[in-house]
Amino acid sequence: MSEAAVAEVESRRWGELDFERLYRSSRDDVYAYAAGLLRDRSAAEDVTATAFERAYRKRSRFDAGKGSARAWLFGIARNAALDELRRRGRQAELSADPVDATSLPDRNDQRSELRLLLDAALDKLEARERELIALKFFAGLSNGEIARVIGVSSSNVGTRLNRTMDKLREACDGAI
Amino acid sequence: MERFSDHNDLATALAEVRPAPRDAFADGLDERVAAGFPRRSRHAGSLLARLVTWARGLPPRRLLFAGGATAMAAIVLATVLIASSGPGASESPPSNGLLSQFTPLKSGDSSGAGAAPQGATPESSVLGRGGHSATVHSSESASGGEYSASNGSFEAGSLANVSRNRDIERSAEVSLLADPADISEDSAKVFAAVHDANGIVLHSTTGSGKGADARFELLIPSARLGDALAAFSSIDEVRSRHEATDDITRPTVSTEEELQDVQARVDGLLAQLSSSEVGSEREAIAAELRAERQHAARLRNQLARLHQRATYSRVLVRIESGNSTESDGAWGIGDAFHDAGHILGIAAGVTLVGLAVIAPLALLFLLAWLGQRLWLRSRRERALDT
Repeated sequence: MSEAAVAEVESRRWGELDFERLYRSSRDDVYAYAAGLLRDRSAAEDVTATAFERAYRKRSRFDAGKGSARAWLFGIARNAALDELRRRGRQAELSADPVDATSLPDRNDQRSELRLLLDAALDKLEARERELIALKFFAGLSNGEIARVIGVSSSNVGTRLNRTMDKLREACDGAI
Repeated sequence: MERFSDHNDLATALAEVRPAPRDAFADGLDERVAAGFPRRSRHAGSLLARLVTWARGLPPRRLLFAGGATAMAAIVLATVLIASSGPGASESPPSNGLLSQFTPLKSGDSSGAGAAPQGATPESSVLGRGGHSATVHSSESASGGEYSASNGSFEAGSLANVSRNRDIERSAEVSLLADPADISEDSAKVFAAVHDANGIVLHSTTGSGKGADARFELLIPSARLGDALAAFSSIDEVRSRHEATDDITRPTVSTEEELQDVQARVDGLLAQLSSSEVGSEREAIAAELRAERQHAARLRNQLARLHQRATYSRVLVRIESGNSTESDGAWGIGDAFHDAGHILGIAAGVTLVGLAVIAPLALLFLLAWLGQRLWLRSRRERALDT
């Protein structure tokens, strides 16, 4: 069982939010989601910090009966990210390299090539599609949690994900 | 050439390129979380900002509880303020235009009560020709006997003032409180007072023993009503007194006018009868004359009844002994129930008024809040489509 899952079970058991534990288990996930959606490291950091601060201030309003703590947290993070998108007034552009350049020691490395390929393919997706990818593969949310975060049914999430993955594969193939 | 054979390959690749936060950012955020997100805003320290933050951080149930407690405290405070402002505010007698013209006279000034209606005062002239009724209530405590004896005169006298030149029907009800042993003696005093006022006892019942009471239905000459009420009030402790007037000028005047018309028609028919010589015509006039005379007789009876209503006042005198223990000055369980009911009534009134004020505002606020949420949600979703 993952650390996040353990935190989830414990928060449900106690019926109250263990914010520290939720933060430790979700910090990187929230950041990955924000960076995947916004394609901007600096904005992703702002959104991540804002999301956790909002969650901290509202932690007493968390109701375990209405869903998991992670779904609640990602609902807040999504609002923060969409506020950021709205503030910019345009779809997030790759104003800053979403891939950490320092993590690419060798441009000829196959892994680096993979990163660049996926990066380009992700840029071709619409924001709504990119959000699904970010929630599923960067943040690691289940379909049920994603459904709760974006306000659609679980089956709808599955359908959309499948369609988006097809589109991403095509984008990758086109980029080769 | 396909780079990823299936979704699983693509998912694995995506997991590998998952963005990771910079160490510096992660460390900084860790510190802020450990410190409980200290506020950086220059307005953070203001009372309003702290209050808003506190309220927004409350879970809905606690927020509801806090709101309910505040509302309850406001209701209790308003109830205490209203209740402590004195019972007179909520127990004042019903007011109308006629009563507002009364001027209290000094104790013992009952001269106006016995005076027959004479000239119309400026106040009474504004009443118009139509009927008008008025009531006067009063309630006294255990010590009210002497007070009533004098006040009974001034109220009746005041009523007499407004009834000048008009036909006013009056009625009164006096409730006395007496010891059971005094019922018989008090009853005798009532009869004596009726006799002094040249009144008529229509009906009377007198009991004896514990819980005994007496009841008198009287006709008192209206001109002496004030004196009679003063006499009744002096017999024993006055528990309550009720007086009412009804202006019957309009039916009296219209009946008088109709009677004059009928009388004129009778005179005319008599003249026709004396000049007619044709047998059939005389019979027809005689029949019409009989009908008009019967009509005139009915009107005279009606007029006599109206004059009698104006001349005599109906008075009900009750002497009770049932609840004498409550009026001995001690505060008892009955008083407690009465006070509790009074306070609950005030609380209910305050709540009702509060709801009438707050409910529309709350509804507007709720609608505005829902609208703002929907608008914001819509704007956020649109941000994904741009």
